[in-house]
Amino acid sequence: MESAESVGTRTRTNLWQRLLRRHLITVATASLLVLAIAMNAILQSDFFTPSVIRSNLTSFVPLVVAAVAQTIVILAGGIDLSLGVIITLVDVVVVRLIGTSSSPTVLALCLGAGLAVGALAGLVNGIAVAVIRLQPIVATFATSFIWSGLSLLVMPRPGGQVPTFFYRGYRQVFLGIPVAAWIIAGVLVLWLIIKRLPLGRYIYAVGGNQQAAYATGINESGVKIASYVLCGVFAAIAGLCIVADTATGDPFVGAPFTLTSITAVVIGGTRLTGGVGDAGNSVIGAIILGLVTNIIFFANVPSFYQEFIFGVIVVAALAGAGMLTTRRRSS
Amino acid sequence: MAILEAKGVHKRFGGVVALDGASLSCERGEVHALLGSNGSGKSTLAKVITGVVAPDAGEIKIRGKVEAPRSPADMRRLRVAAVYQDLSLIPQLTVAENILLHEEPRGRWGFIDSKALRRKAATAAEQFAEALGRSIPMDELVGNLSPSEQQTVEIIKALARNPEILILDEATASLHKGEVDALFETITKLKAKGCAILFISHRMEEIFRFCDRATVLRNGQTVGTVKLSEASEGDLVDMMVGQRMDEVRAGRGQATRGKESQEGPEKFQREGSQPVVLRIHNLRAGDGAVRDVSLELREGEVVGLGGLQGQGQSELLKAIFGALPLESGRIEINNNPVSISKPMDAIRNGIALIPGDRAREGLFPVRPVLENLNIASMHRRSAAGFLRARREEAAAGSIVSDLQIKVEDLSHPVHTLSGGNQQKVVVGRWLLNGPRILLLDDATKGVDVHAKSEIYAIIERLREQGAAVLLYSSDDLELVTLCDRVLVLYEGKIVETLSGADLTENRLVSAALRLAPSGNGSEISPGRAYDTGRDNMGRGGLHGVS
Ligand SMILES: Nc1ncnc2c1ncn2[C@@H]1O[C@H](COP(=O)(O)OP(=O)(O)OP(=O)(O)O)[C@@H](O)[C@H]1O
Ligand SMILES: [Mg+2]
Repeated sequence: MESAESVGTRTRTNLWQRLLRRHLITVATASLLVLAIAMNAILQSDFFTPSVIRSNLTSFVPLVVAAVAQTIVILAGGIDLSLGVIITLVDVVVVRLIGTSSSPTVLALCLGAGLAVGALAGLVNGIAVAVIRLQPIVATFATSFIWSGLSLLVMPRPGGQVPTFFYRGYRQVFLGIPVAAWIIAGVLVLWLIIKRLPLGRYIYAVGGNQQAAYATGINESGVKIASYVLCGVFAAIAGLCIVADTATGDPFVGAPFTLTSITAVVIGGTRLTGGVGDAGNSVIGAIILGLVTNIIFFANVPSFYQEFIFGVIVVAALAGAGMLTTRRRSS
Repeated sequence: MAILEAKGVHKRFGGVVALDGASLSCERGEVHALLGSNGSGKSTLAKVITGVVAPDAGEIKIRGKVEAPRSPADMRRLRVAAVYQDLSLIPQLTVAENILLHEEPRGRWGFIDSKALRRKAATAAEQFAEALGRSIPMDELVGNLSPSEQQTVEIIKALARNPEILILDEATASLHKGEVDALFETITKLKAKGCAILFISHRMEEIFRFCDRATVLRNGQTVGTVKLSEASEGDLVDMMVGQRMDEVRAGRGQATRGKESQEGPEKFQREGSQPVVLRIHNLRAGDGAVRDVSLELREGEVVGLGGLQGQGQSELLKAIFGALPLESGRIEINNNPVSISKPMDAIRNGIALIPGDRAREGLFPVRPVLENLNIASMHRRSAAGFLRARREEAAAGSIVSDLQIKVEDLSHPVHTLSGGNQQKVVVGRWLLNGPRILLLDDATKGVDVHAKSEIYAIIERLREQGAAVLLYSSDDLELVTLCDRVLVLYEGKIVETLSGADLTENRLVSAALRLAPSGNGSEISPGRAYDTGRDNMGRGGLHGVS
């Protein structure tokens, strides 16, 4: 019988190999991050000075938060093509509500309203996908027109203002750490909380095998709706950061975030088919994308090459991530 | 009072009638078999009972009370648990996470208590693993496990729910004898506690060994319920297939004839005289899962791969087929060295591999049955590069009737077929390619008695036409029935070759466990689950009727 007992362990790799394999994506994304930082630092001599770090982080935050939002729906087996316009909607609603007021209480209420708008938009998306059972791509593509139409109704052209202390505060340093970094940390903590709740486990389960999750008793429609609501809330946080960063409202500001957030998610190694990945890696992916934009800017590339080079770098990064995930298939 | 009762259950999927008035009744402390050929509605009935499928009509009574479950969660509360045929595991989660999915122990703030989860999962696994004599890796991702390991996890998952009504839908289909024995022990314990178990299997010997009564389904209707102590296998098959009984007998006759001829000396002559089709030298593959394997396969020969599950049998077949890279060694076909680095190379050399893990390696679930059948052999029927619909339909039609694949229309997506019928599509696809070397990796998993004998007959026909067959099966009886000799693998190496009079199920088990050969098998495993009580009915099994 001893012989039979050893069978289970024979093909098992040792713990280190297993850990490395499990976290291969994180290791790969982190190496890519180091590479991007190094290149950026070479091109930009004052890259490591506190003020540059702060301004970089400040401009990265919206994409970082949007990438976390997108990761959550993708992990649950969905996708959100309306994410960018939800950001826009939150942006214009908040700026419109603030109007000319400069009272902190009013501001707090307006920010709360922004979060509610995001959650509501997410709820509508979730219902379209989980209850009406539309394909996620189609459903969110359709609702994106609703959100962008509403945004234009609320604010037909860029304008408005926010209290000075609000946009100043966003650039501040608190306890020696820039506010932008606090926001990133806060978002990561929120993600870790979600991940440790049963809901987090069910998001992975539904994205991994929807029928199996259902047969196990998981309320799969509920989980999908929850993933879209969470996505909406995080999108709203991204929208609030943009308000603070730009200090004004703009009915076109969010649109690019839909595709860049998906790109950040993929660079972070999350599988678009769901069930595999981590929002933490998407945060790194978003920072890498931001750094790439910097690199191109400081490399003094003629402006008409910039998009082209950005595209090439992103494709290379995606291919790298893709190769790592498919190479393991035969094992 | 019956703890579980189903009455007049009807269910249609589009135009397909899956259940057409199915009924059954199951007592406490009873193991109740649910029998029927592929596509007769067993899995559908099981899913109606667990709330996965909503019936069109009919009622389900649990503990005498009519229940109208709307979801699996409702049935869970009534302590119903199931092992589903198309597994209900999440490949991306670990074994422990899967075992307690939706049952996670909560810690402070409602967080999942991972430590408690691991502990609970390990305890749940223990009661079964102990009988199994093998540990189950709790932190491995389920997707990295072999089919039979996944099956084991699925069983543990159901047991961890502490059910009073347990449904096992072909839970033994990819399990070896030792594991089936372990399951049997567990079932006996549950039975003593007053649980009711609904047991679905196509392995007749298991039905007679495990079950008290059997309900037979045919075309979605309940034909009847019988006490197994008062029924023979023939009676059951009669009920299952109705008027087709004569055909079944004929098909089975063909399949067993091959076996009988092996017992004579004629077989050894054949081995010596036929040319070698496939020769393998010192093959190593799959990170050492296959080590130093050398073998020869002659024209018209059927060679089996035996041993416990996961001893490198699947990896060996995949390596020959080019689906797993060779780490070292050589492959010769018709005495010419060949280099096979991908399945396409193997197919060009006339090799076919029929996988048992249809979900991962076999089917294109949403594509029509027609395409799934033709995909490997399209080039044979195309003209100037264009596909010929008429020829494809003719080819598919003939294999559908040969294998009795139950499908309404060839244009239906293959995932709407019952489990066994999906497996027949995988088999049919490769048979259509007219292979010279046929590799089978547990190919008859979940296939009903009748279709199994049909597949055996086709293998026999191919062998007569000079094809060579290398087959792995988790069903020892299949190895004994079909093979000229069986190579027993252990930790990736061939440790023993059994042929002629030595090729019995008992010898297979003892060789797999690397025990000294014994006469009657009673010493095989002192105090262990590997009792050989099954020998009494071994001959009463598949070919009992002859
Ligand atoms: N989701 C579905 N869509 C369409 N048809 C289906 C679906 N599920 C089952 N069927 C059909 O219902 C019938 C019964 O299938 P079921 O899976 O219950 O058979 P089974 O008795 O479990 O067979 P097997 O022994 O092969 O597992 C089959 O004809 C099958 O094609
Ligand atoms: Mg079935």
